[in-house]
Amino acid sequence: MNKKFLGLVPLLIFVLLCVFLYQGLFGNPRELQTGRLGQTMPAFELPDLMDEQKRWTDQDLLGEVYLLNVWGTWCPTCIAELGYLTELREQGVRIIGLYYEQAYDPDFGDQFDINYLRTDVQQMLARAGDPYQFNILDLERTLALDLGVSGAPETFLVDKNGKIILHHTGDINPRVWRSKFAPAIQELQP
Amino acid sequence: MKKLMLALALLAGLWSLSANAVEDKYQFKNAEREQTFKELVQELRCPKCQNQNIADSDAVVAKDLRDRVLDMVREGKSKQEVIDFMIDRYGYFVHYQPPVTPATIVLWVMPVVILVLGFGFIVFRQKKAARKQSWSPEDEQKLAELIKQSQRKERTS
Repeated sequence: MNKKFLGLVPLLIFVLLCVFLYQGLFGNPRELQTGRLGQTMPAFELPDLMDEQKRWTDQDLLGEVYLLNVWGTWCPTCIAELGYLTELREQGVRIIGLYYEQAYDPDFGDQFDINYLRTDVQQMLARAGDPYQFNILDLERTLALDLGVSGAPETFLVDKNGKIILHHTGDINPRVWRSKFAPAIQELQP
Repeated sequence: MKKLMLALALLAGLWSLSANAVEDKYQFKNAEREQTFKELVQELRCPKCQNQNIADSDAVVAKDLRDRVLDMVREGKSKQEVIDFMIDRYGYFVHYQPPVTPATIVLWVMPVVILVLGFGFIVFRQKKAARKQSWSPEDEQKLAELIKQSQRKERTS
């Protein structure tokens, strides 16, 4: 009896190892890379994408549940999700854009043209749908870094007290919405 | 031809300008901070590209993280402070040395367990083999008799 059990030990270890490695193989590594969940929105003061006189701060966003959608016109997946996000806006979801600019880089001289960018954005939104209440321009990607953004598109669900509930990497589509966002929003509503 | 020469000269000028810019960017007050910076960009993992550190990667986010590390090191922040800052934003994923948590304990414990089991197995087998080879005085006697018998047979034949 004892000997039989000892013989099974290597098999047992092997099976455990397989389960562990299998998880690593098929788990989504992007799900792990979030440090900001459960914390409040970092403080910021950034201009509006369309009007640099207008400035937004973290205080302006309080009071209502919203999605913060990180996007850029250079990013094909972001453009692909604009249509569905617009549908969500029509259903009453508050969506705020965080414009993630890649062209602007102080290291290589200031060749960035804000007027060109605005026209580009307006054309894009007119064509693919405009889900945004407004867009915040994060030219140096400082807010993006504080949020733990690694690219675009990424979307945060924030409650009315400014607490970050979800951090989703990748596009939002009906499947992601049903399985991830809708239940989380349901929980926030009393 | 003149135009070409001029263009080349301009290009060379531009190139040296940008080279200077890069050199200036990575100037440090002392060698210790430079060392800290070099270690950090090796140890921090690019969140976008999965298996490169931020020194190796050309991703925008890797560049942003490099710049932030540079700023923080210049401000005199310690290595651990920079690592904590990054983990706070990008999770444990961003550091190549995982801390001991319930999720990673298996990584730390598994090698030790395998080593102990392996040695245990070898020792166990050694003992078993040694037990089989034990040699008693009775065995000695039996052997002596057998030898005698075979010697007698040889003589008679």
